[in-house]
Amino acid sequence: MAGGTNKKSFINVQNRYGWFFVSIAIVLLGVFLLYPIFHSLYLSTTSSKGIVQKFVGITNYTRLFKDQMFLIALKNTFIFFIIQVPIMLLLGLVLASILNNKSVKFRGVFRTAIFLPAVTSLVAYTVLFKMMFGLDGFINTMLLNLHIIREPIPWLLDPFWAKVTVIIALTWRWTGYNMVFYLSGMQNIPDDLYEAAEIDGANKIQQFFYITIPMLKPIIVFTSIMSTIGTLQLFDEPMNLSQGGVTGSTTGPGNSLLTLSVYIYNLCFKFMPNFGYAATVSYVIVFIVAMLAIVQFKLAGDKK
Amino acid sequence: MKKLLALVLVVMLVFSMAACSKKTEEPATSESGASEQPAEKSGKITIWAWDPNFNIAIMNEAKARYQKDNPKVEIEIVDIAKGDLEQKLHTNLASGVTEGLPDIVLIEDYNAQKYLQSYPGSFADLTNKVKHSDFLNYKVGLMTVAGKVYGVPFDTGASGFYYRSDYLEQAGYKAEDLNNITWDKFIEIGKAVKEKTGKKMLGFGLDDGGLMRVMLQSTGKWYFDEQGNINLANNDALKAAVKAYKDIVDAGIIKPTSGWNEWVAAFNGGDTAAVVTGVWITGSIKAEASQSGLWKVAPTPRLDLAGAVNASNLGGSSWYVLEKSKNKEVAIDFLNKIYAGDNDFYQKILIDRGAVGSYIPAQNGASYSNEDTFFGGQKVYSDFSTWMKQIPSINYGLYTYEADTAIFSVMPDVYSGALTIDAAMKKAEEQLKNQIGQ
Repeated sequence: MAGGTNKKSFINVQNRYGWFFVSIAIVLLGVFLLYPIFHSLYLSTTSSKGIVQKFVGITNYTRLFKDQMFLIALKNTFIFFIIQVPIMLLLGLVLASILNNKSVKFRGVFRTAIFLPAVTSLVAYTVLFKMMFGLDGFINTMLLNLHIIREPIPWLLDPFWAKVTVIIALTWRWTGYNMVFYLSGMQNIPDDLYEAAEIDGANKIQQFFYITIPMLKPIIVFTSIMSTIGTLQLFDEPMNLSQGGVTGSTTGPGNSLLTLSVYIYNLCFKFMPNFGYAATVSYVIVFIVAMLAIVQFKLAGDKK
Repeated sequence: MKKLLALVLVVMLVFSMAACSKKTEEPATSESGASEQPAEKSGKITIWAWDPNFNIAIMNEAKARYQKDNPKVEIEIVDIAKGDLEQKLHTNLASGVTEGLPDIVLIEDYNAQKYLQSYPGSFADLTNKVKHSDFLNYKVGLMTVAGKVYGVPFDTGASGFYYRSDYLEQAGYKAEDLNNITWDKFIEIGKAVKEKTGKKMLGFGLDDGGLMRVMLQSTGKWYFDEQGNINLANNDALKAAVKAYKDIVDAGIIKPTSGWNEWVAAFNGGDTAAVVTGVWITGSIKAEASQSGLWKVAPTPRLDLAGAVNASNLGGSSWYVLEKSKNKEVAIDFLNKIYAGDNDFYQKILIDRGAVGSYIPAQNGASYSNEDTFFGGQKVYSDFSTWMKQIPSINYGLYTYEADTAIFSVMPDVYSGALTIDAAMKKAEEQLKNQIGQ
């Protein structure tokens, strides 16, 4: 370094400043991102009772396959994912294409109304749903008065109906959010495509399937990945809807609302605090999300 | 170039370490500063608890009493929801950061062993600092680890069978018919009540294990044996309790509820005729003033098993002092003076809040023999303190909530008949074993 020419030392000075500016970001990234990732990976190889920790290697991972509670959580999470995400995305797509039609009156009002649930607090709306879906709640009273049902539906008291309630709640909360993505995507589809299709004699439904959906593909992939991640991390709704037992500790009737995230919470805070095992479960979520994202990219044929 | 990079990184590292060590130094200095003058009883203690109508209100009363003699002591009582409190305590204790922790914390009895064993050294050893022999035996046992006692016992969850005397009389049952009954008899009464008055007997959470714990403790058995081994599949007491659950549901004498609010609304609204739970519910029952004089309390029904008694427990909690507390001595003195010494205090919280303490000397106090007009002149608290002494002592162990979860994930199959009780308990045991890795 000492015997360099002027040009070289100028580069050195430049490099020095470059490294200095970059180092701040690297240190922050290291402390707040890389360190937690690797530390939690280490944690997942330990079993703990609070601060009493012992190294167990991959035992935590093999234990997962025998842990019925984990398997229930995994099953529940996938039921929510497989049923709720397609319903929500399809509904969002249909609503978006209706509201994109320029001949619909009060489009702004409808758009706002459908998007509005997305800005409400997760806990607030869940508590509201819990009240509405009570045995004597608004929904049952209404259905009874309309003579649609004879007996009140045990929304939050029966394993099946509890899941239905969560799916209804999730759909209400997130459809508008996804619709906005589709709407903005549709605004970028040139009108001439539809005009040309009309001249060729394609009806509205054909236009929807052969123009709108292919043109929206990148956005559909994006929303489905976001929804996948969101559903796999589902926490607030099952947690709040199921604070059922007065003194009990199941998550929903017969653990029907136990999701992976709720299980992680239980492992840390409700049960004997085993942060090591909880870290193992969280790595499972990371693994599944990564796998599903890859599958979705492959299905969508995105070469990038 | 590499040298430079190394230099920069070292500088950053030194900086961040300096920042860290600075933080940890601060409490250390103030700690030594405070402990120099404990004799004067000054300083500030912070207390965490839940339930503004019960624990918080009672703590406020204790604070007022203590400050009368120790005006220099500042006491801050923080009201945190129970779930949030547990979460905060876990994260603080696990991270080892003591700065954010209170000096005194309320912990539920079912969780006590879990905290004491998970965070060794975090709670102050109060052996010989508090006279534990003045407290109910079973409460002290729950806070003992390896011969050391770590807390000051607070309220008991002694249970009772609260009932609407008007509904039950209509169904043809007098107070003396309800003494020391079995759960089978309870169900029979429930059917009669339903038939004669159209009211349901109980507000009942189908996934709530509270009542099952009441049934179990009355037999002196638990989900685990004395050594802490899982005991579900071959536990006759548990099977009897599960059968009682199924019978109660099958008899159609319940109003299904989900959560605390619906449950309380069921009896406050007059929809149900009875409540079987801990004495801490008294305040919520009395909250409905229009039902004054209509309620009475009978001993808890028992399972039809040898050794089962008509007394049980649900919940209850105790006070713990944090080992790293800056004003540990003041905190211990506070608990000692009020919770382990002030007889009057216990009389007052009994009358005001219906809190039945586990402090034995207080139970001879005047308030315990009060006739409560809300309960038609019955001396409810003297009854409760009689039953309290019969509660079988149990070691809840570390995994009560895990066991509860395992059992209630098979209960829907028990209710529907898809699984026999034997098969269901076998499945639950398998599940629990794998979950806690035993």
